Amino acid sequence: MNAQDALHLLEQEHQALLQFVYLAPVGLVQTRGDGEIVMLNPVAAQLLMPLSRDGLLDNLFTTLQEVAPDLQDRLDTGTPGNGLVCDGLQLSVQVSQDPRPEARLLSFSLIRIDADHCMALLQDVTAQVRREHRLRQQEAWLGAILAGVTDYALVTLDHAGRIVEWNDSIQRISGFSPEAVHGQTLSLFYPSDGITPERVVDHLREADQSGCSLDEGWRVRSDGTRYWGSVLITPLRLAGSEATAAPGTAEAPRAAHAAYCLILRDLSEHRDTAAQARQAAVCDYLTGIHNRRAFFEAAERETRRVKQRPRPLSVVVFDADHFKHINDSLGHPAGDAVLCHIASTLRATFREVDVVARIGGEEFAVLLPSTDLQGAHTVAERFCRRLAASPACTAAGEVPCTVSAGIATMDDCGGDLNVLMQRADQALYAAKAAGRNRVCGLAPGR
Amino acid sequence: MPPLVTLDFTQEALLDALLPLDRHGLDALEFGVIGFDATTTVRDYNAFESRMAGLSRERVIGLPLFTAVAICMNNFMVAHRFEEAAETGVALDATIDYVLTLRMRPQHVQLRLLARPGEDRRFVLIQRKPGA
Repeated sequence: MNAQDALHLLEQEHQALLQFVYLAPVGLVQTRGDGEIVMLNPVAAQLLMPLSRDGLLDNLFTTLQEVAPDLQDRLDTGTPGNGLVCDGLQLSVQVSQDPRPEARLLSFSLIRIDADHCMALLQDVTAQVRREHRLRQQEAWLGAILAGVTDYALVTLDHAGRIVEWNDSIQRISGFSPEAVHGQTLSLFYPSDGITPERVVDHLREADQSGCSLDEGWRVRSDGTRYWGSVLITPLRLAGSEATAAPGTAEAPRAAHAAYCLILRDLSEHRDTAAQARQAAVCDYLTGIHNRRAFFEAAERETRRVKQRPRPLSVVVFDADHFKHINDSLGHPAGDAVLCHIASTLRATFREVDVVARIGGEEFAVLLPSTDLQGAHTVAERFCRRLAASPACTAAGEVPCTVSAGIATMDDCGGDLNVLMQRADQALYAAKAAGRNRVCGLAPGR
Repeated sequence: MPPLVTLDFTQEALLDALLPLDRHGLDALEFGVIGFDATTTVRDYNAFESRMAGLSRERVIGLPLFTAVAICMNNFMVAHRFEEAAETGVALDATIDYVLTLRMRPQHVQLRLLARPGEDRRFVLIQRKPGA
């Protein structure tokens, strides 16, 4: 083969190789140890460009800093020589300019190749995760049926979610006697701040619409002790009781009985690895509270419910004051301790049913179902006063910390979650501008 | 054959100037031109773009643009803007900063997106940023 032919062959092979990598259906990025992007393929740019604040893709860690603030930390403390730094980390991506309302989910893996090279893998797994969620629901349903009788309580509910009659299994699982159960709704099984009357109706409607409603979380027994449990609700359609009777006739009261079947399971013995993995996926790496993804998933669910059955919905966003100064003067471990202190104080101040999350490096958000602007302001104020009065304990000594807070309520936002978050952000900005350590809300119509 | 024209990436009424050009006319331009139709099939791929991407024209003509040729543009910033413009019957003429992955190196560019309702041919134009 002469030089000309060899060159031509090389050219052909080069083009074929380029095409191969151009068409790879996953995002691939090669970076230096500080996240500087050396090479990336088209799917990587497709997925990363919407996240880029500056319209550039110079540094992977900078581009991902809002959805994954800890990457440089993980890389530095993870595997010093080489190896997997994170595997299939799920990042919730919500870009306000994107007209589609729902967050995308990206799966992110990072591998250290050597001292100065890393490889990252990115995939859009939104559809896949939804499928897996539905599958999990079905598995839970099946598990509830197949488990032994001692494992669950069977409860019948009327159309309003009230317990129709007591049976042995209820007392065995939850401790409630026939007298305690009489006239109560399913909220009896929940901690008092763990459910709202609107949420009870949500569960029943979800059962009507999708065939079953599944809710896993903290439950409470008659003696006040908490346990991790699941509540599965399915509609009961008894033969001949289809609501063909006109309302107000003699037939109607009978149709009011036994509208739903509720299965209550105590999962204390069943915290298996799958459940632990689910827990890890919704929790923030540093503070243990919900992460950004969990916050937006919960916010989208609640937005859908509010659309169907209107009730107030508010959100508070918090940002640690002078946080850069704390990190720079006292070091990152002290900064981390401050973030953990803020998170645990948030968790102790807000209700069980509120979703408390870390949504950015030093930014937190709390979703407040069934709460109007005034209610949000009251509890946000209470939190700010509490935090300002209790410094964080760190290795560098006691560190006083405060936050600025912005509140917003769905009534001012036309049912649009993006607008709700934007208004909260604007209010937060106003709080900062007005001197920090305070709560601000925008006037309606602004 | 009409005299070869040199067009400016930023000039007004660029779509009108591009539509009558044939392959030679597009090859004479000093920015990348990808022309495609309402089904997103690539119809034009000029010499400038071919040189920049390292892809021959033959490999690209006839393929769906956003899923087989310019996957990095398959998001709400580029691909969906054409869909939205078509759906809402609005003309599209937008210039945005972007990053292309030609030969897998990040390359800063400006994209100009051109489309008009009723016109089957639409364009993505690519201008390398000065100093890029």
